[in-house]
Amino acid sequence: MMLLQYTRALTAGVVLALAAGPHALVSQNLEPAQILHPAADTWPNYHGDYSGQRHSHLTQINSQNVDGLGLAWAFQTNQPAQIKSSPLLVDGILYFTVPDNIWAVDARSGHMLWHYNHPTTEGQHIGHRGLAMYKGWLYFTTPDAHLVCLNAKDGTRRWDKVIADVKVGYWSTMAPLVVRDHVITGVGGDSDNIMGILVSFDPDTGAVQWQWNATPPAGTPNSTTGGTTWMTGTYDPELNLVYWGTGNPTPVLNGGPRPGDDPWTCSIIALNPETGKLVWGFVASPHDTHDWDAVETPVLVDADFHGRPRKMLMQSSRNGYFFVLDRTTGKSLLTTPFGPTNWAKGIDKDGRPIPNPDKDPKPDGRLIAPDEGGMTNYRSPSFDPKTGLFIVDAHPSWSIYFTKPADGDYGWAGADYGLWGKGVLEAIDYQTGKIRWSHELGPGGAGAGVLTTDSGLTFTGDAHGNVLALDTTDGKTLWHAGTGEPIQTSPITYELDGRQYVLTGSGSVMFAWALPQNFHGDETTNTNTH
Amino acid sequence: MKRFWDVAILAVAAGFFAFTVLAFRGSQSLVHAAASSMNAAAQATAAPVASAGDKAGAASYAKRCAICHGDQREGILPAFPPLIGIKRQMTDVQLTDLIHKGKGRMPGFPALPNDEITALLNYLATTPSITPTIAGGPQGNRRGPQLTGEAAAGGALFLQNCAFCHGRDAMGGETGPDLTQSKLVLTDTDGSKIAQVVREGRNEPDKKMPAFQFSGQELNSLVAFIRAREVAAAAMKGGRRGVEVADLQTGNVDAGKKYFNGAGGCAKCHSPTGDLAGIARRFEGLQLEERMLYPRGAKSKVAVTLSSGETVSGTLAYLDEFTVGLKDANGTYKSWSVDNVKYKVDSPVEAHVEQFPKYTDDDVHNLMAYLQTLR
Repeated sequence: MMLLQYTRALTAGVVLALAAGPHALVSQNLEPAQILHPAADTWPNYHGDYSGQRHSHLTQINSQNVDGLGLAWAFQTNQPAQIKSSPLLVDGILYFTVPDNIWAVDARSGHMLWHYNHPTTEGQHIGHRGLAMYKGWLYFTTPDAHLVCLNAKDGTRRWDKVIADVKVGYWSTMAPLVVRDHVITGVGGDSDNIMGILVSFDPDTGAVQWQWNATPPAGTPNSTTGGTTWMTGTYDPELNLVYWGTGNPTPVLNGGPRPGDDPWTCSIIALNPETGKLVWGFVASPHDTHDWDAVETPVLVDADFHGRPRKMLMQSSRNGYFFVLDRTTGKSLLTTPFGPTNWAKGIDKDGRPIPNPDKDPKPDGRLIAPDEGGMTNYRSPSFDPKTGLFIVDAHPSWSIYFTKPADGDYGWAGADYGLWGKGVLEAIDYQTGKIRWSHELGPGGAGAGVLTTDSGLTFTGDAHGNVLALDTTDGKTLWHAGTGEPIQTSPITYELDGRQYVLTGSGSVMFAWALPQNFHGDETTNTNTH
Repeated sequence: MKRFWDVAILAVAAGFFAFTVLAFRGSQSLVHAAASSMNAAAQATAAPVASAGDKAGAASYAKRCAICHGDQREGILPAFPPLIGIKRQMTDVQLTDLIHKGKGRMPGFPALPNDEITALLNYLATTPSITPTIAGGPQGNRRGPQLTGEAAAGGALFLQNCAFCHGRDAMGGETGPDLTQSKLVLTDTDGSKIAQVVREGRNEPDKKMPAFQFSGQELNSLVAFIRAREVAAAAMKGGRRGVEVADLQTGNVDAGKKYFNGAGGCAKCHSPTGDLAGIARRFEGLQLEERMLYPRGAKSKVAVTLSSGETVSGTLAYLDEFTVGLKDANGTYKSWSVDNVKYKVDSPVEAHVEQFPKYTDDDVHNLMAYLQTLR
């Protein structure tokens, strides 16, 4: 115990020392209020704004001129790790990541300003989604589940805090969400029976403000663990609610030891960002036994639903269902599959799929759609307000799931095998769930995120590594370029010096696409914000 | 040492079970013996063999560093980082600078004589004998024996690079197979096949393993770790995951035969005395069932009609919405922009995709029972 006291004393000393540390810098500065109304020359958080629509008001690149799109620059990370992050853009500088690495890159030229490279020796190095920013500081999660605060000017570390203990099985890959003076940070970790948590940190001191637990502590009888929080949530400033998706329960494939719906795993939840208190929750996959995290972006849309204005939340969920909720109350407005699913007996009165117990994994196997990767996964969908289309990279797929008593009740507790899948971009009418158009993306699956713009363009990628620009009204291809590797990122766009750029990362390279420099059109005077 | 054990006991008591690096309770000489006899896989450069100079370094470490970084450099997380393998991350110049100036909560040692710094750096380059315990749960059904030496170093690499797909105990995970039951692993007598797969990756349609850049020593340590897990898994009572041939025997042969010839439509393309004759001798268990449901890598034919009217046929080699490519009978690859040609793909394997929503699970098990009679 003496050592622990010694450690505590030291830590207190460090906190005091930091409180007297450097002040926020004037350049590379992002006030939290700027995230509320992002300027055209910024992409200030993972989704580009708080809504998660991944829709831009920029119009310079449009369906008439998109065939002239070309490479403005490419940035080589020279790392084997695939880029899976969405860049931030603040004051002309892009920040993006792979595990243990951050690059600050000039958004006009693509040249590197600084590179943070701090290899960690523990935790899953499976991917990294990007950063959050508050004033002059960046927030970066590590494979060993730390939150690191860095100076955006030069990438030097300000502080380093533990989110959760890597030794019990936590890791982190996600980009935190900044809401006012809260840095809301999640974790991964479903190889072990541990509870999912969401932790809010003070942006200046790194002190923990609150922690929300998705499930009861491990060892609680007849109760689940799990409910990781590994994707960035969204935020409604009017309702002052943060929305987050949670991961699968554990043990993963063996639901026996955790009877019931297993809240709040595979759920969409609404929290008060000041207190971390749950306001409502919606279980997207009650009693999941197929690893279908409901962490996909909770997209916030204000629009008519069946003739009445609504504040909605939409999610295309990994389990194959498209959900529309009233985000004030969490009540269901629409639940409909957006591809082949065979694991539910129907939809209950609350809009939740009713799992068919016979489609739980079994010793002799069960044929299941979709597969474990799900009907979609972490890459962002996009909502296009003009057409009312929710556009998602879908993955129709089939698989076989097994579990038997000998697999136990810890961690994976079974085995599953994908049989077949493909990629299809689907444009879903949010009022009916009907698929207005679909665009085949190739065998296996594509995996690229989706970006729409006010000029009627949809950007995404196919299974072969082509970046695509499609017509949002009908899904027809207008432009493409081969990038050499399927895109694992969600595209972003911004306008600098009157030139609009679209960024897509594939493999270890970040590509910036733009119209030719000498392009002159009415659109160049566009100063819309997005 | 007591201090470290207190932490370890506290950690266990709190349920922090997973990957506690346990220090070897030996004397310095024991540690040195281990360091010199084991593969220095955890180091970017070969670990120097222990020498008299290291004793001075070890003494300096014990005096100045161990209070925070642990007696065996294991660190005391989260407050104090481990220094094992620190030379992979920092050069001697950087380390010297850090020792002189300090950083964050670490005090500087500006007056440390050069001789002592050199000895300390040499000591930091040695490899301690660490024994991580891998992924035992509170329920303990996956706990294995403690690892030492090469396997322990491989375990650390495995956790960082392989565990997400293959599980922390190598017994399968999110997308990767159980390596302790892998045919490749079990039949690879000298580790060369494992090393090849790790170095080159697997890019077959059904196996998407990335390639990793490891040194020969690192590969040896990974192989040692996988071997240790294999032994641990074989010794486990129950607790095995994966699918055994015996698991897939719940179907009815007659019902399967009926489905094959009737509702399943299998007989439209396949014959038990033709292409499927002896199929159960070539494949068994899960592999047979996966092939039955969807034979990956099955080739499609394509006929491309050029603007001249000439038709070129071959095996479909590439197709996206812009380009079609084929390999002709001579194995020559040719491709065209789809705007300039017409093409027709003949892909009989698609019938398997159409069948997915039509199967009941009984159909699958019955069909499997029938196919297993085709020996």
